[in-house]
Amino acid sequence: MILLDSVSKTYPGDEKPALDEVSLHIEPNEFVFLVGKSGAGKSTLMKMITKEEVPDSGKIIIGGIDLDYVKKRHIPGYRRRLGVVFQDFKLLPRRTVYENVAFALEIAGMSGKEIRRTVPKVLELVDLLDQAKKFPDQLSGGQQQRVSIARSVARQPKILIADEPTANLDKLTTEEIIGLLKKINDFGTTILVTTHNENIVNNLQKRVVTMKDGRIIDDQKNGGIYKLDETPSLKLKREMQAPGHALKPRPKPRMIQ
Amino acid sequence: MIRKNNLPKESKKDLKKAAKKGLRTMRKTRAKHPLREEGRIIKYGAKGFGRNIWLSSAATIVMAITLIILFVTVVASVILTNTANMMRDKIDITIYFQPKTSAETLGELKNIISKDGNIKSVVVSTSEEEYEKFLAENAESDEILNVLDDEMKALMISKMQATMRIKVYDVDNLDSIKNVVEKDEKFQKYLDEEMAPTYDVNQVEIATITSWARIARTGGLVLAIVFLVISVLIIFSTIRMAIFSRREEIYMMKLVGADKHFIRGPFLVEAEICGVIAGLIAATVSYFGFMFLAPKLSGYGINVDEIVTLLESNKLILVYLVFVGAGIIIGRVSADLAVSKYLHKA
Repeated sequence: MILLDSVSKTYPGDEKPALDEVSLHIEPNEFVFLVGKSGAGKSTLMKMITKEEVPDSGKIIIGGIDLDYVKKRHIPGYRRRLGVVFQDFKLLPRRTVYENVAFALEIAGMSGKEIRRTVPKVLELVDLLDQAKKFPDQLSGGQQQRVSIARSVARQPKILIADEPTANLDKLTTEEIIGLLKKINDFGTTILVTTHNENIVNNLQKRVVTMKDGRIIDDQKNGGIYKLDETPSLKLKREMQAPGHALKPRPKPRMIQ
Repeated sequence: MIRKNNLPKESKKDLKKAAKKGLRTMRKTRAKHPLREEGRIIKYGAKGFGRNIWLSSAATIVMAITLIILFVTVVASVILTNTANMMRDKIDITIYFQPKTSAETLGELKNIISKDGNIKSVVVSTSEEEYEKFLAENAESDEILNVLDDEMKALMISKMQATMRIKVYDVDNLDSIKNVVEKDEKFQKYLDEEMAPTYDVNQVEIATITSWARIARTGGLVLAIVFLVISVLIIFSTIRMAIFSRREEIYMMKLVGADKHFIRGPFLVEAEICGVIAGLIAATVSYFGFMFLAPKLSGYGINVDEIVTLLESNKLILVYLVFVGAGIIIGRVSADLAVSKYLHKA
């Protein structure tokens, strides 16, 4: 569903690459957390997927679309096939909740009748049907993020990517948002979420991909205890190298003369 | 660059084939409904105008004021040109002939001078006709009329020169006319010795009025163009400021997959609504303002007839259409340029 192969990107003026030979394969219906410290390359990777940025080298195939072949004029059409949730919600401030969600359907050329049928359903899914006539600045952060999610899933995309969707939210709201994303994943949508939040990663027990300095340094299929400086595989490696450890790697065999 | 060992089991060829198929499907998914799309663009443009009422009002007022300035510039240019032309029309070269020169002779002299290409019109009048003119001009002056008995009349007619009043196309080029008057035998025979032709006397005034008329024409045009450019820049800056404050919206729309046309459209509609309202305000203010000032200007000898006729006739609707059209065009172009800047950036 999402395939990155040896993707590299160095921003002009930077010496270190933002992404360095990153390869990642996400299967349909997977729920994947992309974790790492600031500057690890998570946002750059997300921008590659939304085609805001173009890699210097490597190949990206999203939902069966090779992004090398997506020309500039086709980018809006490609983006309409993705659901994208942003850290700062990116809602249209002068449009109501209803209009923000309807916007995603209008740009896809849906009829008015279809829109009138779909939007209430989606707003009901995110529990905001009673707030439909309000403007974004009349809502709380959590509610705004739910509108953003409603907008991104209104077209029923096969892939939903969320860039730090809980970064500005309190613990309770964070749980609500993650619960909502889990629900959407249960409907069959592939979800890729970047986050700093250890708790949500640990609680959900989903696949965790860890990035550092523009590289993927760990990929745990079944989740687990996650610390930015101590990914499960790094921890295991360090333990194995510790003196007296039973699983200490054996020295390389020498040639006997 | 593809490293085959990093790819899943499918071969590179199959993957590429699938990717191209996906791309084809993506291109086909968008159902085109131009009318539906235009309807939505107009709806959101109108809503945007209302929801950004402060910015919209500011832009509309600035646009209305600049349209009024533009109107004043154009009208001033037309009035100045018309006034200068009116004064030029008043200028005539008067040639005086001996008293009692007959009408037939004057007709022959008229025929001679009319051959010159610079002649616009020639009017001749005998001594009797000059006397009648004198009476008409002093019809309200009892003092003069009381002393004009038959004897006085006969005396005046015998002393009043017959005249030839000539209007020309080009007051700067009187040499050929002078040549005829000074060299033609018939003219020499009947010219009055006491009263010389007036073209030499009025030369300075003629030159002054001519230069004023030229300044009015070219200066008015230059001024109109300068004001047009300034107006467009002011309106452009105002609309650009309004759109600058909403550049994030443009970026957001792009990120969720809106087409450029769908993003740009509502901004253009908003600017066009500004243009329509500004055009109506400017036309109304200009109309009433001018109609109020016209009699006062006319009192100073300024020729406002052409503009008054235009505003009073059924062409007034045309004036409104020009204002509204100018507002729409300037608004649309400004908004288009401003939005394009952020559309390409995002």
